[in-house]
Amino acid sequence: MDVLLPALANVLTPLALLTLLLGTMAGMTIGSLPGLSSTMGVALCIPITFNMPPDLALMLLGAVYVSSVYGGSVTAILLRTPGTDASIATALDGYPLAEAGRGGEALGMATLASLFGGLFSVVVLLVIAPPLSTVALAFGPQEYTVLAIFGLVTIVGVASDRPIKGMLAAAVGLVLACVGLDNFTGIQRFTFGNSELFDGVPLLPALIGLFSVSQAFNLCVPTAGGVLTGQGQKLKGRNLPLWRDLKRCLRTLLRSSVIGSVVGILPGAGTSIASFISYNEARRHSSTPERFGKGELEGVAASESANNAVTGGTLIPTLTLGIPGNAVTAVFVGGLTIHGMIPGPSLFTQHAETTYTLIFSLLLANVLFAVLGLWLCRYLVVVTKVPGAVLGPMILVFSVIGTYALRNEIFDVWLTVAFGVVGFFMERWRYPAAPLVIALILGPILEVNFRRSMQISHWDLTTFFTRPLSLTLSLLVVAALAYPIWNQWRRHRAALD
Amino acid sequence: MFVQSKLVKRVALAAMATTIGVGLAGATMAAEYPTKPIEVIVAYGAGGSTDTMARIFAKYAEEEIGQRMVVVNRPGAGGELGWVHLANAKPDGYTIGLINSPVVEVYPFTREDTVGYSYEGIRPLANVVTDPGVLVVAADSPYQDLDDFVAAVKDDPESIIVSHEGVGGDDHLAALNFAEAADIDLSFVAFNGNAEATAALLGGHITAFEGNMSEAAAQIQEGKARALAVWSDQRMEAMPDVPTGMEQGYEVEAAASRGFAVPAGVPQEVYDKLLDVSRAVIDNPEFRAEMAQLNMPVNPIYGQDYVDFLDASHERLKALWEKDPWIEQ
Repeated sequence: MDVLLPALANVLTPLALLTLLLGTMAGMTIGSLPGLSSTMGVALCIPITFNMPPDLALMLLGAVYVSSVYGGSVTAILLRTPGTDASIATALDGYPLAEAGRGGEALGMATLASLFGGLFSVVVLLVIAPPLSTVALAFGPQEYTVLAIFGLVTIVGVASDRPIKGMLAAAVGLVLACVGLDNFTGIQRFTFGNSELFDGVPLLPALIGLFSVSQAFNLCVPTAGGVLTGQGQKLKGRNLPLWRDLKRCLRTLLRSSVIGSVVGILPGAGTSIASFISYNEARRHSSTPERFGKGELEGVAASESANNAVTGGTLIPTLTLGIPGNAVTAVFVGGLTIHGMIPGPSLFTQHAETTYTLIFSLLLANVLFAVLGLWLCRYLVVVTKVPGAVLGPMILVFSVIGTYALRNEIFDVWLTVAFGVVGFFMERWRYPAAPLVIALILGPILEVNFRRSMQISHWDLTTFFTRPLSLTLSLLVVAALAYPIWNQWRRHRAALD
Repeated sequence: MFVQSKLVKRVALAAMATTIGVGLAGATMAAEYPTKPIEVIVAYGAGGSTDTMARIFAKYAEEEIGQRMVVVNRPGAGGELGWVHLANAKPDGYTIGLINSPVVEVYPFTREDTVGYSYEGIRPLANVVTDPGVLVVAADSPYQDLDDFVAAVKDDPESIIVSHEGVGGDDHLAALNFAEAADIDLSFVAFNGNAEATAALLGGHITAFEGNMSEAAAQIQEGKARALAVWSDQRMEAMPDVPTGMEQGYEVEAAASRGFAVPAGVPQEVYDKLLDVSRAVIDNPEFRAEMAQLNMPVNPIYGQDYVDFLDASHERLKALWEKDPWIEQ
């Protein structure tokens, strides 16, 4: 306990506050640009931290991390160009809101939800990190398999308007997920000799192509459905959601924050699973599920609180076990070791002051991005008034730069453009793009964990139901699938009566 | 017509002049090398062990060479994409890169049909770190040494699951080496990285984890995991209690070595200059201290010795591959 006060004092020095502010602004910018992921943001800052004292170095990395996850929501809502996979679910409802002139309100909700999720997970990290870290170990391949299926169930909800087209898109996503080097046998699948495809169809080029580049085309082609062309876009006042709406979303915020924190702890899961599952659960528990996907504030709240809750969650195994919870925290571990701090229990004993300084600075960084975000909302929202012919080419330029920056491969740029064309026509022919991307993200997680389960259990399919944890998860999947059917049947009967 | 040919002549003259100029500049450039920042290609992602090593090395090398060293990550295909860029870079000394043995010398024959660089296209400069393989079990595992482990595998081969980071990677090759030396068949499962495999090991989902010392040392030092053997010819400073495979009667030596290389065709003066810089950095006690903190054993091998080191590994693994390929063709 006696380290808490000095740690708090460390965070409140002027230099620390300045570092946090700069880190937060950098993170928000990085997060909002397509292709510049949190991982890259943190990695870019590592060389800068070489010559900084460990306290400040970690504060900078932490601030960039949490605020970049939030930054992705801004463009996802206003332009339907999610910068990373963590914000896909945000765009599903955020963009329709922006189209209806309620972009400010959606941004406000995203900001408050991110703050809620972020603070929730850091408090969890502060208070019960050591016992919770065992969750990371309890999840074996069987549990990850079922978790991936849980995430895939989201597609059912996302595609509920156009089930056949949605399922077709998801199937294409699953097929694309098969591309790449099979790590279990060393065999190349559908790479056609392209070494660039060894690691599979790279996710961010696909994502940026389908969402951002296709949107850029939309904006440039006035006949493409006339979205956001800037003429006569009326911004309907509010930059903050109503208190009534916030109160309505409180349960969703709590549920999503719990889901985000837990998924964050799992090293093999990833941020997007958390936001997909939370989005789907919010939809399932809503009294008006049909409004999801058409501009429901609660959808934005679910996705954004979940993806920011992941940030604290991922640090739990990183700091307590030395096992990074995701790619960003893996880079974080690099930053820690450079400063002589080997992740693991010693962080809470030997380096306790620095560790608690990091945790406190995360709390502050969450507050900082929220304040900055709420203040910027009213200005950012003006973006939706910019004519499409100006906005489209700008999005295109940023998309190309972003995808090239990912791994400095021109191949990825062509792939992005190709996905952009595909996305453009998918939208014209009313095929939803989200199921394709969800399947592309979750397909590999499902495949490798299913195969690991089979290898470990020696081809025993009952392995998914004989372990308490995977059985519980399986039942949740069944519930998530059966609930809408049961609900419809009940309504149908009520209508008959 | 006349005008046109005159124009052609002029263009040709200008082109000749430029060529001569560039040629001259090239000659003087080598003498004053370096006059601009040097790009360092890392064939793996930011934050990984190769990247961390490269960035620390670059920090010290900048002091020696008087120019910025810019680390550029070009990850993909297990390092192959980065090495394609290294091999294809202009051989003027302004692009250098990290190579990782054994995979860098293995891809040219295991991926013969598709690989984008040739083993001869990259000229090794200096090895920096040799990170030996380790076979690790959880702290509560019943197996105390390799004999226990081998006996258990012989007793029930299916119950023992060993993780590696993908078929054909250095962990997999190390485990294959061990299996051959012990005359056993191992049941493998591939994980996408150290974090997932460590979680699976500590959670009791797999029996053992084949990895590199720098990745496993923290868990071993914390007492959460136990190394049954280190695949080197002598014990390691970071974990002095862990016996080598050879001490236990298993002739296995396996490691991941990380060093610097340049595109083939770099002028000899430039190569020599870079070699001097490498020696100076590797001899710097501060650099050594940082490497020790990261549990990365420094193993300096310079110039021709490094070439011979890689050639020997290349020959040995190629023979193993031709005898029993680990990837189905």
